[in-house]
Amino acid sequence: MTDATVSTPVPTTGLEPAPEPASSSRAQQRKARKNAAKDPKRKITWDRVWAQRALLAMAVPLLLYQILFKYVPVYGWAIAFQHYKPGRGSIWNQQWVGLENFYNLFTGVNGERFRQVVVNTMGQSVLTLIVGTFGAIVLALLLNEVKNLPFKRILQNITYMPHFLSWVIVASLASVALSLPSSGGFINQGLMSLHLVDEPVLFLTEPNYFWEIVAGTSLWKELGWNTILYLAAITAIDPGLYEAAEVDGAGRYRKMFSITLPSIRPTIVVLLIINSGWILSTNFELPYFLGNGLVSEKSETIDVFVLRYGYQLGNYSLAVVAGIFKTIVAVILVGSANLAAKRLNQETLV
Amino acid sequence: MKRNLRLGGLRRAGRQLTVAATAMALIALAACTEDESTDDSDVLSPSNPTTLSVWITSAQQAPAPDNKISKLLKDKLGVTLTYEIVTPDNEDQKIGVMLAGGQYPDLIGTGDLKQRFLEGGALRRLDDMLETGAYPNLAAHVKDDIKKMSYSGDEVDKGLYIFPNYNRFYGDITGGTYYGPAFWIQKRVLADAGYPDLSNMTLDRYFQLISDYKAKHPQTNGAPTVGFEILASKGREWGMTNPPALLAGSPNNGGVIVDSNNNASIYADKDVAKNFYKVLNQQYSAGLVDRESFTLTFDQYTAKLATGAVLGMHDQGWNFGTATQSLQSAGKDENTYVPLMPVYDGVTPWYADRPVMNINQGFGVSVSSKQPKKALKFLDTMLSEEWQKTLSWGIAGEDYQVGADGVFSRTDEQRKNYKDITWRSHNRLDALLDMLPKHQGKFSDGNAYSPDDQPAEFYATLSDYDKNFMEKYGKKTWLDFMNKIAENPKYYPAWNIKLSDAANQVNQQVTDTSVQNLPKIIAGKPADFDKNWQAYVDSLHKIDVKVYEDAVNAGIKNRLANW
Repeated sequence: MTDATVSTPVPTTGLEPAPEPASSSRAQQRKARKNAAKDPKRKITWDRVWAQRALLAMAVPLLLYQILFKYVPVYGWAIAFQHYKPGRGSIWNQQWVGLENFYNLFTGVNGERFRQVVVNTMGQSVLTLIVGTFGAIVLALLLNEVKNLPFKRILQNITYMPHFLSWVIVASLASVALSLPSSGGFINQGLMSLHLVDEPVLFLTEPNYFWEIVAGTSLWKELGWNTILYLAAITAIDPGLYEAAEVDGAGRYRKMFSITLPSIRPTIVVLLIINSGWILSTNFELPYFLGNGLVSEKSETIDVFVLRYGYQLGNYSLAVVAGIFKTIVAVILVGSANLAAKRLNQETLV
Repeated sequence: MKRNLRLGGLRRAGRQLTVAATAMALIALAACTEDESTDDSDVLSPSNPTTLSVWITSAQQAPAPDNKISKLLKDKLGVTLTYEIVTPDNEDQKIGVMLAGGQYPDLIGTGDLKQRFLEGGALRRLDDMLETGAYPNLAAHVKDDIKKMSYSGDEVDKGLYIFPNYNRFYGDITGGTYYGPAFWIQKRVLADAGYPDLSNMTLDRYFQLISDYKAKHPQTNGAPTVGFEILASKGREWGMTNPPALLAGSPNNGGVIVDSNNNASIYADKDVAKNFYKVLNQQYSAGLVDRESFTLTFDQYTAKLATGAVLGMHDQGWNFGTATQSLQSAGKDENTYVPLMPVYDGVTPWYADRPVMNINQGFGVSVSSKQPKKALKFLDTMLSEEWQKTLSWGIAGEDYQVGADGVFSRTDEQRKNYKDITWRSHNRLDALLDMLPKHQGKFSDGNAYSPDDQPAEFYATLSDYDKNFMEKYGKKTWLDFMNKIAENPKYYPAWNIKLSDAANQVNQQVTDTSVQNLPKIIAGKPADFDKNWQAYVDSLHKIDVKVYEDAVNAGIKNRLANW
């Protein structure tokens, strides 16, 4: 991000004439930026830095924040190579054990379990991400077509609301909804009254349903919230495009597929890239609250595993090893998502 | 020009800010240094008020701000307590954070079997302080059992750090309630079966009683009657894993059975376990075991018991007190539970043990306390008989009466208050008392430590239904339904032996494997039982169980040599 600030000054600073002709099309802007980057005259010089000092100064606090809270704490990774016991004052006053903790996590019984929790984490996250993104786009498109404003507002508010419930509550609601009819399980009640099943299904005891339950519950909670960004992107579309399409005789569906969707494509891609970094880090609450022994082979995620085998057993070193693993995988995931987007000639982050 | 002026103004402002900040920092520093001075007095008096911070792991609630005992502490001793109360479920996470911070309240009340505060150097070694003679109650309290109570590991100096919060007894053990493990059964089931003889109970007879009753009464208050509930929620998996040892006549040693040569080994993969789960499997397919057992959280489990629809379960008495209380207050005494002791053929039951001292759980004085002597004096004062009576019975004349013969008793109103949670928060310090060392057993005047233990009070508080029920069986207390309590083995119990990290991890792996496999075995088709059992045993044998067994055996040897 800082890179971008340096190479393309925001025109409104008034420190320099705007380098690019004003243009409304994103594609043109991108092209201009690319050219600019190649232009030898646009090299970073001390003069330019000085000219932009106000902007750079504004970036300093953020930079400090990043360094202080994201890079400095990395020294704590040392714990991964120790037999760490808390309360000894400094983390350098510990017994060093080399790679023992790595062997412990990646081999033997723990290794088997850890491989399983990595698969579960990815499976649940990817499914949640796909279902969530798809659902949010569809809902955003549908909401955009609602022309009665009060009705649209009500719809939006209703779909947002679950976002403000905590996961504990959502998990309890889900577990009641999925339980036996005698315990208030209305899903089973519905299925039975529709004669789709003869006997109530114990959803939460069947491992193979668990990923879907997680994805479905997250969808219910976050659907409305996730549409906000897409709706915002849709409102930014030039109404002239729709008018022109109408003149050309395009109907509602044509406009949706040929104007709305392509216009929000960059938003979709950027959100997907950002979210891919969280694939190993999300999904603690639902697996923790909804999981049980019967489904743990499909429910336990990395964070739940780390909580149980790391923090609760007081084995902080193991938790740090898992943390390092997660960081490395996250960097790889974001990098490759970004690369893939670049290949597809899409908007990218870096 | 204009811009420069403004910048100049900013700079000036900046300088002023710097000066102000420096001044503040200096003041803060001064304040800190002042704070550093330790308070070396051990006198608690109203003329010299003291504030003690206490950290407590307890399921009990914090006292109300206008609590009358809090006021008494302030008036008589000048002590104000500031509480931080953590529920046992959240203790693990909280301990790590506190150790990382290195700052502790004056008194730490921990329930942590892994002894992380102790080994993390958060607690002060107390032997020397006790030897000064300034703390007579505590000194007398620990004198006979100091070896058991002391830390014997290698992480910090060996010695006394924590005063056990329960089961250090003075004189005879009194009391009529049973808090240990049992197969519980609703009283209405036994009443309906005509109060059958309960001796020589077996699993088959236990389930037969339940099955007969369920066939006759498929509904309870409009809800389907549940035959048998399995407790398997997180952290309480013992509800599902511990029964085999008890059925085999071994006292509760946790995950191991200790043989007559004091040699411990796990039983999860042995026949004693296989036979039990085979019965459960058959009962499950017969529809007696609740299908929802394995997905219930502890709260849901408690709520289910509180509906009164559950006929039986394996549990420990202390674990479902809330459910019993709510059944009692709803007047459903026939839906409360009696402990039974099914065993395998030819085995003598050993369910009830001598209450085990809660070593490693209770209050210690923190190393960062600036007034350690006062903190210890507070514990000592609280252990005096006078304060113990106040904490446990209440205020004489207000919460109980002293008879002409010196025997304590209560009116019905006072008994009702005692059970009322809201009343308790205004009139008792339950959370504090939960962690304090106690004068359990008898006071020097012959009264029992608490109303629950006073024989006359115990009987008087029984409902008419319960009195009648006991009469039918010719028993006077619930404890009478259990085996005669034998002397505990010297090392007992194995479940509170402090384990290494590696052994803890293996123990967790065994529990996880059980939690993952046992529900499948129980809920599976009876025809698949052998196959499912074999899969379970195979995955158990992949775990390095010996690490755990060796650690337990080392602990047992250590105790046999030192206790």
